Amino acid sequence: MLPPALSPFTSFWRLWRSLVILTGKPWLPPSVRQAEMSNAKERKHAKKMRNQPTNVTLSSGFVADRSVKHHNGGGKPFRAQKQESFSGTSRQRQTRMTHYSPPEPDVNEQSSSKVTFNKKGGWKAGPEGTSQEIPKYITASTFAQARAAEISAMLKAVTQKSSNSLVFQTLPRHMRRRAMSHNVKRLPRRLQEIAQKEAEKAVHQKKEHSKNKCHKARRCHINRVLEFNRRQKKNIWLETHIWHAKRFHMVKKWGYCLGERPTVKSHRACYRAMTNRCLLQDLSYYCCLELKGKEEEILKALSPMCSIDTGLTFAAVHCLSGKRQGSLMLYRANKYPREVLGPVTFIWKSERSPGDPSENRQLWIWLHPTLKQDILEEIKVVCQCTEPTKSTVCISDPLLTPNQEKSQTKLPDEKIGKKRKWKDDGENAKPIKKFIGDGTRDPHQLYSWISPTTGILISDLTMEMNRFRLIGPLSHSILTEAVKAAAVHTGEDTENTPHRWWTETCKNPDSVSLHHRQEAIFALLGGITSPAEIPAGTILGLTVGDPRINLPQKRSKVLPNPEKCQDNEKVRQLLLEGVPVECTHSFIWNQAISKSVTENKISDQDLNWKRSELLVPGSQLVLGPHESKIPLLLIQQPGKVTGDDRRGWGSGWDVLLPKGWGMAFWIPLIYRGARVGGLKEAIMHSQYKRSPYIPGDFPDCPAGILFAKEQAKNLLEKYKRRPPAKRPNYVKLGTLAPFCCPWEQLTRDWELRAQAQEESSVASSPSGEESDWRGDEVPCAPTPEKTHQVSDAMGTSLHACSEPRGRMDTECPAQMGTEWATGQDAARRHLCVLRSRASLKQLSAWCGPSSEDSRAARQVPSGGQQELTREACLSLLDRFPRALVWVSLSLLRKGSPEPHAMICVPAKEDFLQLSQDRLYCGPQESKHSDPFKSKIRKQKEKKKLEKRQNQGHTVSEGLEAGHTMAEHQAPTLGLWSGPLPDVTSHCSRVLLGFVTQGDFSMAVGCGEALGFVSLTGLLDMLSNQPAGERGLVLLRPPASLQYRFARIAIEV
Amino acid sequence: MVRFKHRYLLCEVVSDDPRCRLSLDDRVLGGLVRDTIARVHGTFGAAASSIGFAVRYLNAYTGIVLLRCRKEFYQLVWSALPFITYLENKGHHYPCFLNTLHVGGTIRTCQKFLIQYNRRQLLILLQNCTDEGEREAIQKSVTRSCLLEEESGEEDLSDGGEEAAEAME
Repeated sequence: MLPPALSPFTSFWRLWRSLVILTGKPWLPPSVRQAEMSNAKERKHAKKMRNQPTNVTLSSGFVADRSVKHHNGGGKPFRAQKQESFSGTSRQRQTRMTHYSPPEPDVNEQSSSKVTFNKKGGWKAGPEGTSQEIPKYITASTFAQARAAEISAMLKAVTQKSSNSLVFQTLPRHMRRRAMSHNVKRLPRRLQEIAQKEAEKAVHQKKEHSKNKCHKARRCHINRVLEFNRRQKKNIWLETHIWHAKRFHMVKKWGYCLGERPTVKSHRACYRAMTNRCLLQDLSYYCCLELKGKEEEILKALSPMCSIDTGLTFAAVHCLSGKRQGSLMLYRANKYPREVLGPVTFIWKSERSPGDPSENRQLWIWLHPTLKQDILEEIKVVCQCTEPTKSTVCISDPLLTPNQEKSQTKLPDEKIGKKRKWKDDGENAKPIKKFIGDGTRDPHQLYSWISPTTGILISDLTMEMNRFRLIGPLSHSILTEAVKAAAVHTGEDTENTPHRWWTETCKNPDSVSLHHRQEAIFALLGGITSPAEIPAGTILGLTVGDPRINLPQKRSKVLPNPEKCQDNEKVRQLLLEGVPVECTHSFIWNQAISKSVTENKISDQDLNWKRSELLVPGSQLVLGPHESKIPLLLIQQPGKVTGDDRRGWGSGWDVLLPKGWGMAFWIPLIYRGARVGGLKEAIMHSQYKRSPYIPGDFPDCPAGILFAKEQAKNLLEKYKRRPPAKRPNYVKLGTLAPFCCPWEQLTRDWELRAQAQEESSVASSPSGEESDWRGDEVPCAPTPEKTHQVSDAMGTSLHACSEPRGRMDTECPAQMGTEWATGQDAARRHLCVLRSRASLKQLSAWCGPSSEDSRAARQVPSGGQQELTREACLSLLDRFPRALVWVSLSLLRKGSPEPHAMICVPAKEDFLQLSQDRLYCGPQESKHSDPFKSKIRKQKEKKKLEKRQNQGHTVSEGLEAGHTMAEHQAPTLGLWSGPLPDVTSHCSRVLLGFVTQGDFSMAVGCGEALGFVSLTGLLDMLSNQPAGERGLVLLRPPASLQYRFARIAIEV
Repeated sequence: MVRFKHRYLLCEVVSDDPRCRLSLDDRVLGGLVRDTIARVHGTFGAAASSIGFAVRYLNAYTGIVLLRCRKEFYQLVWSALPFITYLENKGHHYPCFLNTLHVGGTIRTCQKFLIQYNRRQLLILLQNCTDEGEREAIQKSVTRSCLLEEESGEEDLSDGGEEAAEAME
């Protein structure tokens, strides 16, 4: 159709130009006119018009022809056709019509006929010369073709509906019938076909259910279990999942499905439960690693991973005997104080014969699932455990159960439908088994490793046990109510019961007496008013009967029973010494017994059947030797152990159960009045305890870095969802990093700052007095050197914004080397958190308001505290360069802090004003200017312009432009784009650190925050502040200009 | 429903001069109608009918024109249409007149009418045709239009490919 040399675009542009010349004003094709409309409007219009026929004219061709004639003579009719089709293509959907109106096969015919007419001087005459001639005759064929084309176009427009309503909605009301929306036959016959298509479309959109099963079949128990088993293959379900899913907002986190927060409004109620009653949490998602081997081998292997500096280690006497639970921080081997792996708790199995070094010991390390990968790898390395072992006795079930289940699912179930009697329910009564434990585990993967040299066996016991946490003073009473110690078998004909291990134990008089002692101690617990009174981390082993048997009829609230605390001497002894070592023994340590307990659990159905067969309905069910016996381990959880107010708040008990028994214990605990909390309540618990939350508050461990990244991503997404006018402009507010805390940069900036100050002070007074060392508080005019450094650092670490916690420093080793020129570079580069207890104690004493304070006075003699001198500071800094300190802040007056709030150093005038006016709220940050705003606006305009130009071009070109646009990411309005400048001195007050958790504290009654500050900055601030005002800082939320006074405290 | 109610006038431009068709354009026609209304009904009429007035569809080959105006004043427009006697474009005057075929409340009814009308025209043409070749061509277009009616449902499935083919040209 086209002359080969002419591409459609060039011809189009020529036409357009000629039009401009002719008419004097640019004639824009309709598509461009449309582009001027707002985008949404345009889309709506396009949708409405997609099926409408477009105009078919000859005039445009006529006008163009005149001018085109000068460029290239012939081909007039083509031109006309071409332009039509062109304007059509630039519109999206309307093309169809233009091409149908002169239909494809006919175009040639038509044009050829036109050409012939031209020669003859037909009705379709050329513009100038032939115009005067009158047509001799009219051909009917062209006339008919034009009609036919129009008919087809109109037909198209009429038959296709352009609105987005369903077919039956277009019918007038009197023609509508009930059930028309899903029964096509109810529609008038002419619409049935369209409706059919619509219905098919809707079916595709619907979620796909198992098609072969009706709703009733899907709800049937066996199918549901199958479905549940399928669904927990991706994310691990806890045993209480179904219970939680009905009452909680569930989130998929760390490979588990966890309840985040209750659907009912219960923030305050959960707090009350923690302080006055009992809050229950399912912590079964915590991972357990088991180490088996010789005691000294294990200790030797693990000792490089922890430091005595941070507190007790694995070898602590109480813990090693198996009497207490210990908690510590793990580091990469010999890397202290850097490269933290994370906090863990651990328990040793008590030794049967103390003092025997040859005995194999068992150690359980409990840790958060985010830390598991790193810690497991590291432990494997230090223990030299490389060989995965075949399933031994101790770890057999995770490998076997899935296979069993598979084989069992294939069994035909002939017993569905008729009611079973419990007597004849044999082996094939349970054709499909629920997944118990970890559903995602690969049966062929091994979960234990042995070391040939040290003989240590590491096994991963994740999801092999349930761990419930009871928090609050009533947790004793609830436990003692819900759980009854197992009855000792005295009988004879108990050989055929499945609980063989218990009958065996009962034959041994020693074990029976031990069981009775444990029972007595457990009974004593009921009389203690709070779990905090018992020594921290006390462990108590216990064997209990089935808790479902004495389930109360109704949910009730347990009240503490003061009558129980009569036995005063025994209680006192218990409080003083804790549980004796022997009583910590539990059969849960024995994997074989745990497994048999799991497998021989009577199902709820059978239990209820037996209950219904009781002679007197509602009376106590006595199963005798058939009752399951469950070994438990109770571990006391110390509450708030740091600081000096509210000590012991939030203490409670952790209950370890063998797997499969989760729900059997869960419901009885709830029936005794425990309130259940989710992850959010766990955060609240740790916040009020002022302890760091795992993994959010460990900025130096890999899990913490990952968590921060994810959080930043989520917050950014949330921020971007709002229109720019409805969200805070963080650039104007002077908040450089509202979604993440740039710890690395903070510490580095403080280091540079301290160095600059030192240099200046040395230059000014060579004597280097203490007062001079501090220099001026805010170096308003930094030395040229320093600015150079900063700019250099910015230049090299371009990714500072996108990866605020990435190892920026490793990218510029050369620069850092020149700056510091010391051998410690490698050590200095990494961020660390100060966890040395001695240093923290010293810091906490310095943070106090003044030395005359009673508290500080109390502490001074005890620890032999140093004065806050330059030497002490320097030595501390030398040991922990680039360190962060975990601090808690309480606001003096108003204000409730938020996460990512900034902790700043108050200026001198702030103190002055505070001393004049006790009600002074705090200074205000002045508004910053937004240098990015104009840039973004310019970019936007440019983009718009390009877009407009592209509209005329082809679609492909437009796509290319879009690609290039997407490549360099557009900066977000209201966020700092590009590398961050010096974070410390960006605002009027010098930045010290960031808050990671902060809220109004219901425990204290004022705003409280927890966060990290730079150690360098903290020491600098403390040495500059007058003794009376020491420890006062300013807090500013990211979306506010108002600073608030807060007192800093370091709790050890 | 709350909406602006319109009237659509389906007209046919009848002209002896073939050049009239060449210069038939939505702007030219719109201006022409507007001028005529101003001439016939004065300033008030022009203003009243200018609200919502538009040429919605125009086919130069068949001379079919679809005019839109508000329902309140459609009679002003309608009554002005017979007064159009020539089409003026670039200083040329082409004598023509507008023949109103249908007045409808929606574009859809007008389109439906147009289909019927065109079909009738084709049949008349077929009956009156004497030349054999012509007759065949007309027959072809008639059958095609009828076939199209049946196929119209299936077309929208295949037109995606066609569109792409068009864009390639």
